[in-house]
Amino acid sequence: MSAPPLKPQHSAEIGPIGSTADATEAAIAADVRNSTRRRKTLLWVARIATLVIIIGGWQLFTSAKIVDPFFWGRPSGIVKQLNDWVRHGTQYGSIWLQIWTTFKEAVLGFVVGVAGGVVVGVLLGQVRFLADVASPYIKVANAIPRIVLGSLFTVALGLGIASKVSLASVLVFFVVFFNAFQGVREVDRNLLANARVLGASRLAVTRHVVVPSALTWIIASLHVAFGMAIIGAIVGEFLGAQKGLGLVIATAQNNFNPNGVFAAMFIIAVLALTAEGLIALLERRLLSWRPRSQSEVAAA
Amino acid sequence: MTVASTFARRRRAAHGTPEGTEAARRAAQIELSGVTKRFVTPAGSMFTAVRDVDMTIGAGKFCAVVGPSGCGKSTTLTMVAGLDRPSAGTVSVGGKPVDGITAGTSFMFQADALMPWKTVVGNVALGPVFRGVPKKQAEAEAREWVGRVGLAGFEDYHPHQLSGGMRKRTSLAAALINEPSILLMDEPFGALDVQTKAMMSNELLGLWEQTRPSVIFVTHDLEEAIALADQVVVMTVGPGTVKAVYEIDLPRPRGAVQEIRFEPRFLELHHQIWESLREEVERAYARTANAGGRS
Repeated sequence: MSAPPLKPQHSAEIGPIGSTADATEAAIAADVRNSTRRRKTLLWVARIATLVIIIGGWQLFTSAKIVDPFFWGRPSGIVKQLNDWVRHGTQYGSIWLQIWTTFKEAVLGFVVGVAGGVVVGVLLGQVRFLADVASPYIKVANAIPRIVLGSLFTVALGLGIASKVSLASVLVFFVVFFNAFQGVREVDRNLLANARVLGASRLAVTRHVVVPSALTWIIASLHVAFGMAIIGAIVGEFLGAQKGLGLVIATAQNNFNPNGVFAAMFIIAVLALTAEGLIALLERRLLSWRPRSQSEVAAA
Repeated sequence: MTVASTFARRRRAAHGTPEGTEAARRAAQIELSGVTKRFVTPAGSMFTAVRDVDMTIGAGKFCAVVGPSGCGKSTTLTMVAGLDRPSAGTVSVGGKPVDGITAGTSFMFQADALMPWKTVVGNVALGPVFRGVPKKQAEAEAREWVGRVGLAGFEDYHPHQLSGGMRKRTSLAAALINEPSILLMDEPFGALDVQTKAMMSNELLGLWEQTRPSVIFVTHDLEEAIALADQVVVMTVGPGTVKAVYEIDLPRPRGAVQEIRFEPRFLELHHQIWESLREEVERAYARTANAGGRS
């Protein structure tokens, strides 16, 4: 009970401590910067080393005939094949034409599929009765291996672009549809009630509340959806085409040319990565209001 | 200049000609008679939220509704707003039965009903935009209201960048911009800390006294209810019905809500109403305790 009363400390007393603290603070900050830089360097070294080991190992094992290059191809062969395509073209015309054809099919299929998926998803998400009517059929349609529809489209629509676009758009549709539907169902009830009380018409509620709210879900599906579009275009070309990367792959397969398959695969990967980058850009534009998530902050 | 003239216009509108005021007043009287609301649970059984609620809120009156949780306070509000229909009985506003969304109503929810993808101005401007006001004009109006609730400088922030109190201010501006004749508030400050809550209450009173809409303010905080309202309605544990109505005769303008609670008349009223409310709270507590014991 005889504890001395607490005495406020004078700022003069902590003055010098403050300045040392500043110095320590600066040293710690510099330390953190250094370790961050070190980590980044290490990361890139490790990444490049991984690539060198995989490609180098592949090349080495195939040169030493431990792995048969006749079946599994080899990096140098793939580079040669790419070089050959760029210089002399494929047997169906220049490689650029093949790339353009496949890209065009995938993008058209993507656009049609996304538009359809969003419209139907938003509609069914809002109209309970329609959703209940359609639900068993959607489940059945989702269970069918839709890639098989490619055969149907090739027969019905011919060897041109239409059959590939159709297959791609069907694959895209379901991915986008399910997300749009779910996104609309998840809209905050409070937001809907609030908009209605403020006098919003049904259309205004859709435009100002439902669609922006579902957009997070829809955009998340676009990443997967573009992959689906490319699969649709390539498989469509496998099944019957006059040009396109899928046809190039099918031809390489028939000629026992694994390097050709890998080379085409590489081109498709570049295509997909470019599209992925564009979608990420779109995502950042449309969802700029979103707080950055924990993982995004960590990655930056 | 423009702000001053708008204020003047609004004051004229609020205190305008006697006949106009009378008409507006009658239009905002809220009456519930014999209102019962039943819900069908997902399991298929029936659940009665409120039973035989009779309530009259005079135009321009501030009515607070208190009661234990789950007594159907929020349900009552949604029926006045026209978001939900009573299973029996009638809700009428200005003598006309409510059919569809009640015109001239604003609703403030317990959770923020702000669109996370819109800025502060964008959110506040929603009311006028939905009414068909051109976007530019709606935004100008919204900017003025953002200033009035003390958020000047935060117009272009998104809700997630604001504190809880600032989000409430935004909601308040969004609710008041339509100059509602009826303002429904469902525990609007329930999630705020005590200091922020007191500040928001003061501001609400200040803004309310300017335009005087009829208010139904649902809360579980009895002090808040008495400090703000003209009339405190105590509801019973669910199915909720009106247990008692107390007139709060504290003079207006009330001034700071932090101070009024020390006045003798306030304490007297608090004591009186709490006696009535306590029974219900205890009964609600016993009920949940039993339910917990059983499961």
